[in-house]
Amino acid sequence: MTKILVVADIKQGVLKGSTSELLSKARALGAETAVVAIGSNIESLGSDLANAGSDTQYIADDASLELFSAGPFASCVVDAAKQSEADLVWFGFSETGKAVAPRVAAQLNVACASEITDVTIDGDNVEVVRPATANKLIQRIKVNTDKLVAVVRAGAFEATEGITGTENVVKLSIPETDLKAVIKEIISEAGDDIDLADANIVVSVGRGAKDQAGIDLVKELATDLEAGFGSSRALIDAGFMPHNKQVGQTGKIVAPTVYFAIGISGAIQHLAGMNGSKVIVAVNKDPEAPIFNVADYGIVGDLFEVVPILREEIKKIRS
Amino acid sequence: MKILTTVKRVVDVELNIRVNDGAIVEDGLQYVINAWDENAVEASVQLKENNSAETTLVSIGGDDNADMIKKCYAMGIENGILIDDPALAKADSAIYAKVLQKVYEKGDYDLIVTGKQAQDTDSGQTGVMLAEYLGVPCVSNVVSIEVVDDQKIKVSRLGDMGTEIVELTLPAVVTVSDSINEPRLPAMRGIMMAKKKKIETMDLSALGTSIDDLNGGALQSEVVEYMQPEARQSGQKFEGAAADITAQVVNLLANEAKVL
Repeated sequence: MTKILVVADIKQGVLKGSTSELLSKARALGAETAVVAIGSNIESLGSDLANAGSDTQYIADDASLELFSAGPFASCVVDAAKQSEADLVWFGFSETGKAVAPRVAAQLNVACASEITDVTIDGDNVEVVRPATANKLIQRIKVNTDKLVAVVRAGAFEATEGITGTENVVKLSIPETDLKAVIKEIISEAGDDIDLADANIVVSVGRGAKDQAGIDLVKELATDLEAGFGSSRALIDAGFMPHNKQVGQTGKIVAPTVYFAIGISGAIQHLAGMNGSKVIVAVNKDPEAPIFNVADYGIVGDLFEVVPILREEIKKIRS
Repeated sequence: MKILTTVKRVVDVELNIRVNDGAIVEDGLQYVINAWDENAVEASVQLKENNSAETTLVSIGGDDNADMIKKCYAMGIENGILIDDPALAKADSAIYAKVLQKVYEKGDYDLIVTGKQAQDTDSGQTGVMLAEYLGVPCVSNVVSIEVVDDQKIKVSRLGDMGTEIVELTLPAVVTVSDSINEPRLPAMRGIMMAKKKKIETMDLSALGTSIDDLNGGALQSEVVEYMQPEARQSGQKFEGAAADITAQVVNLLANEAKVL
């Protein structure tokens, strides 16, 4: 039986949705499931981890693991991978996963695949599918090693309703702190904003908003919709939006139910970060903007005129 | 400080890429420096300008990499190494990382700077694996590099919880984001000087290794098929009075797409 180890995605002590998505897929494949959780003060997550669909929970809980450090984090995953004898080790889509997965693969001396969207297991043969080349190509990849470490692309797998596992906690020993890569501090930009990765609706703003006043206008739409608020690269380079809001190939990859692209022209690097969204709505002055090639609903118009009407109409239809 | 910058020649993703029978159609493709590696080159040149470092780049590929290497010279890189060996025609991230390990070991470098991923594969593995093989610290997705002293650098990285400030003991590997800088356009003088500069070309044996040392060239994974992604159905585009078309779209979102 295939054994799959999922690396839990934990932010500020809370288990994120990607963990149950990955575990649901693992169970659907008929695999034995385990999860590894790494952090500080996370002991109480045992039942959440089981309820997310895992049958064994490897937990590394120590104050030294509070701030992310790739070396110790990788050591914990390798330890859990060995103890669980996992054939597949899966990370949810995150900067943590991208930084740690190649380390784990190198230490286990097995193949690594980034941003997979599908996996097929046929006896000993494992194949994965993933986008490449700024989403212009899809690769089908054959795995030649007996194990695979992979980062799963955001939105690739769906959580199954009513999934559950069994609580069976195994405590991991705590790795030594990496003295050659010392975390001095983490400057949080996020505040209490809705996490883009988890948001059901995402509203993103682009160059068309021009300045802070335009951005604030679009942000009000996001607030009304309780949506994650993102940005195209232009406003980040111009210093108007923080880096962690960037949606695109080089920033966050999102796949919400609805994506509003407001004043975004639709460069391929941006499209690569959002074209997995279920429904895309675009507002742009330029009828030739490439964003309209991917939008399900395109509004050709000035965002300064359209956004207030959009807010009004949404309020009306929701009441 | 001795800096090694790795650069990859990749397909230009701005152009159309076609697939036929599971393979990429070579006809009509153009090749450029990987965009993130161009940021790595710029970061390395800035470190040289501000901290009296020596800069060397390495690339793996054929002699058609020469134009790209000359462009990096024109941007300010001082030395260039090309690893050209037919045994590397098919390679994966692990093999590239092992080849780069050999290059590093020959040169006694303090810092390796590379792009966080290559735009042809979008994998982002080689730099991190290289650090693992070397047993040196590594930070990925870096947006600033500051030299502390001969032994240490301080970098900032965009992580899941915000911007992480990390102090690294050299030697170390950093993989850079495109947010780190805006690569310079080479000046005419640099371009003229670059034309005369040599590229040190080596095969695996000149590097002191062989394909047998690289696990016989066995691939840990390999692409067996390329496909073109299904294009999104282009939807409905509305033009006209803003009030009318916006109301229409909201109505469709609620009643047709049922997502509001």
